[in-house]
Amino acid sequence: MQRISKKVFVKRQKNKTHKNMRGFLWILPSFLGVMVFYLLPYADVVRRSFLGAVDNRFVGLLNYKTVLENTAFRLAVKNTLLFTLVCIPVLIIVALLCAVTLYKSKYGRSIKSAFLMPMALPAVSVALVWRLLFHSQGLVNHWLSGLNIVGSDWMNSGSAFWILFISYIWKNLGYDIVLWMAGLAGISSNIYEAARVDGAGERQCFFYITLPNLKSSLYTITVLSFLNSFKVFREAYLVAGDYPHESIYMMQHLFNNWFRAFSFDKMAAAAVMESAVLLALIMLLQKAWDSKA
Amino acid sequence: MDYAAISPGGQVICAYNEILSDGIHPVLYLLDKDGKANKMSFELPKEEGEQEAGQLSNIVTKLLFPGNDWALLQDGPGKVYQINVSDGSVKHIYELDSDTSVFEIHAVGNTLIAQDETQVLCYDLQTGEQKPSDEALNQGGSENGLFSAVDTLDSGESIYNLSRGGLYHYKFGGSVMEQLIDGNMNSLGAPAFYPIALAMIDEQNLLVAANDTNASSATGVCVLKYSYSADTPAKPDKELKLYSLYDNKEIRQSISRFQKEHVDVYVNYQAALSEENGMTVSDALKLLTTEIMAGNGPDVLLLDGMPVETYIEKGVLKDLSALFKESGGSYFENILNAYKDENGQMCAVPARFKIPMMQAGSAYFTPGEDFNTFMERKDTMANMQPKTVVEKFWYTCGAAWQKEDKTLDEAKITEFLAKLKNAYGEYDSSQQDDGMQMSVTMEGAGTEVEEDTGFSQGEFNLAYGKCNTNFGLYKSMDYGMQQAVNEKLENGSIDLMPGQADHVFVPFMVMGISSKSAQPEMAEEFVKYLFSQGAQKISQFGGFPVEREAFLSVIDGHQYEGKEDLIAVGGSDLDETLSYPMEPTPKEEIAKLTELVESLTTPALQDDVIKEAAVEEGEKVLKGEQSPEEGAAAIIQKVNLYLAE
Repeated sequence: MQRISKKVFVKRQKNKTHKNMRGFLWILPSFLGVMVFYLLPYADVVRRSFLGAVDNRFVGLLNYKTVLENTAFRLAVKNTLLFTLVCIPVLIIVALLCAVTLYKSKYGRSIKSAFLMPMALPAVSVALVWRLLFHSQGLVNHWLSGLNIVGSDWMNSGSAFWILFISYIWKNLGYDIVLWMAGLAGISSNIYEAARVDGAGERQCFFYITLPNLKSSLYTITVLSFLNSFKVFREAYLVAGDYPHESIYMMQHLFNNWFRAFSFDKMAAAAVMESAVLLALIMLLQKAWDSKA
Repeated sequence: MDYAAISPGGQVICAYNEILSDGIHPVLYLLDKDGKANKMSFELPKEEGEQEAGQLSNIVTKLLFPGNDWALLQDGPGKVYQINVSDGSVKHIYELDSDTSVFEIHAVGNTLIAQDETQVLCYDLQTGEQKPSDEALNQGGSENGLFSAVDTLDSGESIYNLSRGGLYHYKFGGSVMEQLIDGNMNSLGAPAFYPIALAMIDEQNLLVAANDTNASSATGVCVLKYSYSADTPAKPDKELKLYSLYDNKEIRQSISRFQKEHVDVYVNYQAALSEENGMTVSDALKLLTTEIMAGNGPDVLLLDGMPVETYIEKGVLKDLSALFKESGGSYFENILNAYKDENGQMCAVPARFKIPMMQAGSAYFTPGEDFNTFMERKDTMANMQPKTVVEKFWYTCGAAWQKEDKTLDEAKITEFLAKLKNAYGEYDSSQQDDGMQMSVTMEGAGTEVEEDTGFSQGEFNLAYGKCNTNFGLYKSMDYGMQQAVNEKLENGSIDLMPGQADHVFVPFMVMGISSKSAQPEMAEEFVKYLFSQGAQKISQFGGFPVEREAFLSVIDGHQYEGKEDLIAVGGSDLDETLSYPMEPTPKEEIAKLTELVESLTTPALQDDVIKEAAVEEGEKVLKGEQSPEEGAAAIIQKVNLYLAE
């Protein structure tokens, strides 16, 4: 071990503290914003989760118990989880396949923009089209009756879940394609050339070069897709209102309705639990990515 | 005599629309200062071209006498004639007739002011020419609404006008219309107050003649004098916030009177839902929640359409029981206690109520019969819209659906839908909406379009056999009309509407005070006033008062005392007219209705989420789009989710 004098050690320590201080000052404005707009309100939500709705008296863990026993909460959690588990893998895989195809295509860049179009459409317009299509007397049923097929009240049956699923994939596919293509652009062409010289085919290049090199993009795309999956509530709410078919009753419906009914106690407890689960999921994902990286 | 106007010199011109076999012929008379009448030699020219059916063009609709030598006369389509009163010759004709709007006319000095909903036009009465457009006047007109009455103090250099917002002053060529009296602070803005004429005595005193439907006089016409007071603040320093989802005329009228008695208080009334803002009930409630929790919420809440029981459960509303203990008023306790809990707390109290009633001949309805018996009858709901039928029966049945644990009883809902479908029969998709019934009374107080669930909307259709029963929410008593309809039926009668729940009433104008109110004492004072006899006697046909004396005063027909006229009610078909004498309600009928009110025990379920689900799915059942079982399951699915929250 290298021996250093006490004076040099103190000087090095001071330099380190200065560096840390400078770093802290750089992130201070952003940290203040996060503190004021996220951390402090979140602390208040945690506080409220132990208090009564309007009278603010301390109730201990009663709100958590009430929420966990609440059947509407259980249904919303089940639907939200189901939606996430079905949609995100499908979206990620379909987007990757599209991105690889487009990346190789001569017209990939221009077609890529077309995939982004759904993101530019306002949620209200999308909801209106939904209504026109999937109403019990809408266009889909009209077309089906032309084929002598009996239609259905799509938004008031189990089909509602799959309509929401298609809507989510359609809207977010372009965004994920762009992210995958950015990842693909980061892979050096030299690796592919070297592999081909060694006799690797397209399939081998994809599985042994493309996929391993896209691992860093996977984490970002998964987290962003996960967060975007919550936004699908807007369309569901605009089409079916506060109480849609039970297959598309999501956490946001519940929060929305609780807010209207002054159920701040239940809202706070559910929000704390939800954020804890989300945080744990994201950290697990990050850990898995770190260990593989 | 249909119209009359007085000139500055004291002459009077009168118009009478005489109905002869070949049409209507307006006749004009000129009365000099001594009262001597001379028929004027003026004939209103008939409109050229083909007239639309029902359009009355050749009649006088307004008469003004601003000059001593000439008068202004407006005909049916809106054309204005400036007539020389000495010989009946026409000096100028102002072509104001329009396909889209009718112009209101006023005259000040040498200016004719014509106003419709979008613009204010000015004409020079000397030359007959239209004056250049006045932007500030146009803007004032569109912002403040139609001018009810206009006058001047400076021979037409400037005008004083009354609008719904109060009294305004405008100098021609100026840049702004100035508000002199805020109508929200006094009777000028009250919904039952319709100004007819304005006379400016000087800059600080004015007279307003108005038709006030709540005035103590038999005709309803009153003349009020308003004077400037240096001691009265322009805007009171105390503000009481009042919030409701839907606009309520009774409350507006009460605010006007309350402010008159409490000059230091300004009641800021906000009705959240309007055609302009397009807000939904859900959005409005979320906004209200935010405001209340932020400490900026209203002091007093008019809870109609709001989740009253949730608010009570969450502690949003203050207990009002002490208010009624000390008031000493005599109320229908069964109605007043609609939301009283087992601890005696009254956090929400209905100021008015409606009763689901049914009227029909004996072949279709017998007073006192139960739901099952009525639903076994056929053709009782012929020519009625499915949605309206479900909505009306929701009130008498919904209250029976809720179990003790607050969830809904699916078997009861299935029974309701099955029986209703059986009684309703096959849906005829070609049938049109019932149509709006227009009623015109001799007092000319105007017309009122009722909500779909109102009882009075179907009276006329029942009388003329367009439907076999009439049922809905009974919210004011018109004994004459009721009898006239009964006479057209075979053994006609009226009684409580059958339903799965018995003796149902619908609480209305449910009042509550926010537990976070910044001014609880003032809020209590206001609510106390709303339950006082004076405020309860205000009637805008929005439900029966809960206070006994006031209840009697709105059903006894005292306004018809000593009158011998007839009231005629006509439908869309001119041959169908119901007429009945203006006479007070017989004592035995008053006693019968009072007894019926005292027997009411079940408040209707007032929950818009459940109602919406029931009406939506029930309509599909009546239209044959789904079975009663499917309908009930769909209601349960939607509502149980809501109840589970």
